[in-house]
Amino acid sequence: MTSAPGLPATSAESDRSILADNLREFRENSLAVAAAGVVAVFALLAAFAPWIAPHDPYETDLFRRLLPPAWEQGGDWAFLLGCDALGRDVLSRLIFGSRVSIAVGLAVILIATTIGTLAGLAAGYLRGIPDAIISRLCDILLGFPYLIFAIGLIAMTGPGFQNIILALAYKEWVLPCRVVRGETLAAREMEYIEAARALGASRLHVMLREILPNILSPVIVVATFRMAHIIIVEASLSFLGIGIQPPVASWGSMVSDGREFLLDAWWVSTFPGVAILLLVLAINVASQGLRDAFDPRLQR
Amino acid sequence: MQLRTLIERILQLIPVLLGISIIVFAMITLTPGDPVEIMLGDQISTPEQEAALRRDMGLDLPVHERFFRFLSNALVGDFGNSFFHRRPVSDLILERLPATIELTLVAMLIAIGTAVPLGVVAAVKKGTLIDRIATVASIFGVSLPGFWFGLLLIMLFAVHWHILPVAGRIGYDFEVPKVTYLLLIDTILAGRLDSFLDALGHLILPAVTLGLPMGAILMRVTRTSMLEVLDQDYIAFAAAKGLGRMRILIRHALTNALIPTVTVAALETGSLLGGNMIVETIFGWPGLGRLVVEAIFSRNYPIIQTAVLLYAVTYVLLNFAADIVYTLLNPRVKL
Amino acid sequence: MKVSHYSFIAAGVFLLALPLNGATAAEIRVGYTQDASTLDPANHRSRISEGIIRNMYDGILARDDQMLVWPELAESFEQLDEVTYEVKLREGVLFHDGTEMTAEDVKFTFDRLTKEGAMGGETSPRQSLLGPLEETSIIDAYTLRFKLANAWPVFPRMLPFQEVVSKAFVEKVGTEGLATQVNGNGPFKLVEWRQGDSIIMERFDDYYGGAEGIAPVQAAQVDRVIFKIIPESASRVAALLAGEVDLINELPVHAMARVENNPGTKVLKTLGTRSFFILLNNTQPPFDDVRVRKAANHAVDRQIIIDRILNGLAVPINGILSPQSFGYNPDLPVYSHDPEKARQLLAEAGYPDGVDVVLDAETEFKDLAEAIAASMNSSGFRAKVRLWERNALRAHWDPKKPKEREMYFSSWGSGALDPAGIFMPVLRSDARGNRSGYSNAEVDRLLDGANAEPDQDVRSQMYQDAQVIVNDEAPLIFLWLPQDIYGANSRLQGWMPSGRGIIKLHDAYLE
Repeated sequence: MTSAPGLPATSAESDRSILADNLREFRENSLAVAAAGVVAVFALLAAFAPWIAPHDPYETDLFRRLLPPAWEQGGDWAFLLGCDALGRDVLSRLIFGSRVSIAVGLAVILIATTIGTLAGLAAGYLRGIPDAIISRLCDILLGFPYLIFAIGLIAMTGPGFQNIILALAYKEWVLPCRVVRGETLAAREMEYIEAARALGASRLHVMLREILPNILSPVIVVATFRMAHIIIVEASLSFLGIGIQPPVASWGSMVSDGREFLLDAWWVSTFPGVAILLLVLAINVASQGLRDAFDPRLQR
Repeated sequence: MQLRTLIERILQLIPVLLGISIIVFAMITLTPGDPVEIMLGDQISTPEQEAALRRDMGLDLPVHERFFRFLSNALVGDFGNSFFHRRPVSDLILERLPATIELTLVAMLIAIGTAVPLGVVAAVKKGTLIDRIATVASIFGVSLPGFWFGLLLIMLFAVHWHILPVAGRIGYDFEVPKVTYLLLIDTILAGRLDSFLDALGHLILPAVTLGLPMGAILMRVTRTSMLEVLDQDYIAFAAAKGLGRMRILIRHALTNALIPTVTVAALETGSLLGGNMIVETIFGWPGLGRLVVEAIFSRNYPIIQTAVLLYAVTYVLLNFAADIVYTLLNPRVKL
Repeated sequence: MKVSHYSFIAAGVFLLALPLNGATAAEIRVGYTQDASTLDPANHRSRISEGIIRNMYDGILARDDQMLVWPELAESFEQLDEVTYEVKLREGVLFHDGTEMTAEDVKFTFDRLTKEGAMGGETSPRQSLLGPLEETSIIDAYTLRFKLANAWPVFPRMLPFQEVVSKAFVEKVGTEGLATQVNGNGPFKLVEWRQGDSIIMERFDDYYGGAEGIAPVQAAQVDRVIFKIIPESASRVAALLAGEVDLINELPVHAMARVENNPGTKVLKTLGTRSFFILLNNTQPPFDDVRVRKAANHAVDRQIIIDRILNGLAVPINGILSPQSFGYNPDLPVYSHDPEKARQLLAEAGYPDGVDVVLDAETEFKDLAEAIAASMNSSGFRAKVRLWERNALRAHWDPKKPKEREMYFSSWGSGALDPAGIFMPVLRSDARGNRSGYSNAEVDRLLDGANAEPDQDVRSQMYQDAQVIVNDEAPLIFLWLPQDIYGANSRLQGWMPSGRGIIKLHDAYLE
């Protein structure tokens, strides 16, 4: 991060030292660090799934239908967490499923945060007509009940990875947009912004190089919080029958498929449910740690 | 002053509603599936029957004509007939609305009732064990897929322990005179504590399932904004003046800290109204959400169009209500 | 006697009075998948609604649990010539308001069903279920004649789908009123319809007793019947296990063991009327080649899927008809599960290295579709499953449009148990349910001929011949016909499921 020649370097530099402070404070929060560790473990599982998973997650065998976990009566140690309705290894599907769940969460958040941040910057800094248009658009999207839109969209285009991401992201950007707009409105009155403007920096430069770095903390915090939420919502789509395409499974679709067997084969939906819980819990704790450490308004 | 703002808000509603109507119509037109075919299903039919149904549904008209007809009829309160129920959409929605409102309100009460005290305590005791427990508990709340948690509650409370019912709104041994159509209130108005408790028994599991994630979010918002407020000068000033700790917390800190909580609560209530179809399905709750989901899957256009508009209006009104609550909490905030 | 646990707790804690009434009433509660869309017998196309309505309204004819057709409101029903049928009504059948049903009411009912715009300007969606019915005329107070425009031998099998309404009542409340109010002639009266939640009915004491041929003939056994709407299967099963309801429909196969082993509940089942098959796109490669279609039939291991996933509760079929259907051919050749033969047929058709195909399925059939694909994949096919929302998928397989997809795990149900309701729409060229694009002139000739053939033996033979051709040309992968499964309180007596899918609780009671 270097500042343009002739412009005061204050923003970027003070930013860096705040970042260092923030990181130190984050490190002191042992719970949050542990949570970040859990997230890292899940990420590794996802990355190395083919080498870690004991079985082919797609291999069906109807003679293993609803095989219980190894420690239950009738279980088999080769299938530690049991098998699902088509005799597929639950553990291997969990490990591969982490890829889908994490990928969906990441993709949605990246898309939404990028769009939302840019729109929020534009609305907050330019104000006037762009602000009015973006704000009304936000109202329309927020006023449109979310699941109705998602179901409609997927009925329209057919279920599939991209469509699910689209159905989850279409209004997710509104939240970062609103946060960024508010922060930008406050930031544009700051002295260093006025200084940059006085020195003839272009609007684009001011928005992207001066304002953006200074309002990034709340954006990151919102993004991590919402990523956890996205993973849950993806499970809801599966419940409504518009989730991911087979044979691939996400944790959400595994919980949803297995809910029918909750009484008779609890392991089919419980293990992915626990996996979601663990990951979301870890992301949330870590991001709460981030928020406490990063949010400038909470600094002593 | 407030009247002017109200009028402004209502004027702002116009482009939003128009935009939403256009989106709905576009989606309806682009989504494959023919209501006439869906209605006829697998049963024997003839081309004449198909034509008659298409005419009855108004689907023989081109889409732009249907759009303008819908808009102009909607302006005078006529939302058309449901394709499959073959009676006015407004009747169907009004029949289902009270159940949804009751469920949402109670879920909201549960959420606020647990979230605000917990959030305040967590903020005041920041970094202590209490704070961490509250944090983890709240995160549990948002980490459970609602349908899974709901089914789990059913298995435990209804199947295992037999203390709460699986589904429905009230038992069959009571006759409750309909006044507000909200059963909790109507049973009290009728002076029947037993039927009130029965209705409450039916309501509790779905309301907890629905309210839990919202409570978790509200708790975190309250905690954060409370932390911010506690850092402000006027709190230190109040403390210096020697005001009691509880009094500072409640009179000065909490009222200010509640503003973001109210905003989020209003937003979340809106999304609850549109998002409780899953809870309604699991608990057989006779609300609007289920009607709308069924309408989407069966391409029952008039219900979809009307419900979406209703949700949008509710959303805007809720936001307005939230703004009014701000001014009550903090008179310095002007609308 | 049915008092819920939670109200006991309430009463115990607050020492309040017991519930208003019903503490001694005999009552049956049904956990049902969906609410009725209307209570007007003529204004829907939904078997779900009909299942509820049939408890409050009777028809001219009815089916018993063996699917045999009996006169119900009729005393006798006979065919006078190819296009004329005569009904003699029972005397003394009362509507719930105490008025007597006469030929006037029956004529009004059928005119309302068949005449264009007869329902407050709209046309009954059930009109075409009566085919070419042209005129209903009154002979005397208890005698009517149905006159068809042309011969339609399936007419008597279609009549059980219609119920008779009261002319005076409909004229009073209008079609709008009939959607939510009931003045029927069935064993139960409507007490209250809590939309989306439940339908409460009570016994009609002056009920004439029901079909003479279906014993016992009597008023309803129980005081009250409640249909409680619980759409989610897991919740419906939970409600049965918790004793909240006494009977549930669509019990999922995997929950059977739980319901059977649970003290106090049992499983009831009957052969359904919905045939399952995989539609093959006969108009495009690879399935425009009969060898590939035959290979596909040999590739799917139906028996293991029936045994392992459907709990053995389905019969394999080699055509499209139910074994209970009129005109069923029991001697059709069987496509055995034979991966070798499938590979060989594929090689002959020019696919020695196998062929890639996509199997479309509706989300609710995910497991079955995946199992079928896995089975095909060990027999020379490389099948992938693609899931769709039901009505979007059906639109992609619209019979009126060019076909672009390859395979569709599909089904067709026909409660009439007559080829006219399933064979004709699914396999006749350009018929409204012909999504596979199959077209065979000889099959068309036989189907058209049978549709108007008055001699039932000749008609049956024509259908049997057509089945042989279809079986040989394999336009579909023939799968199975599943049983309908219900869960019930073990004390429930007097009701058996039938392929009709109707829960009529006229004779039912709890021991």
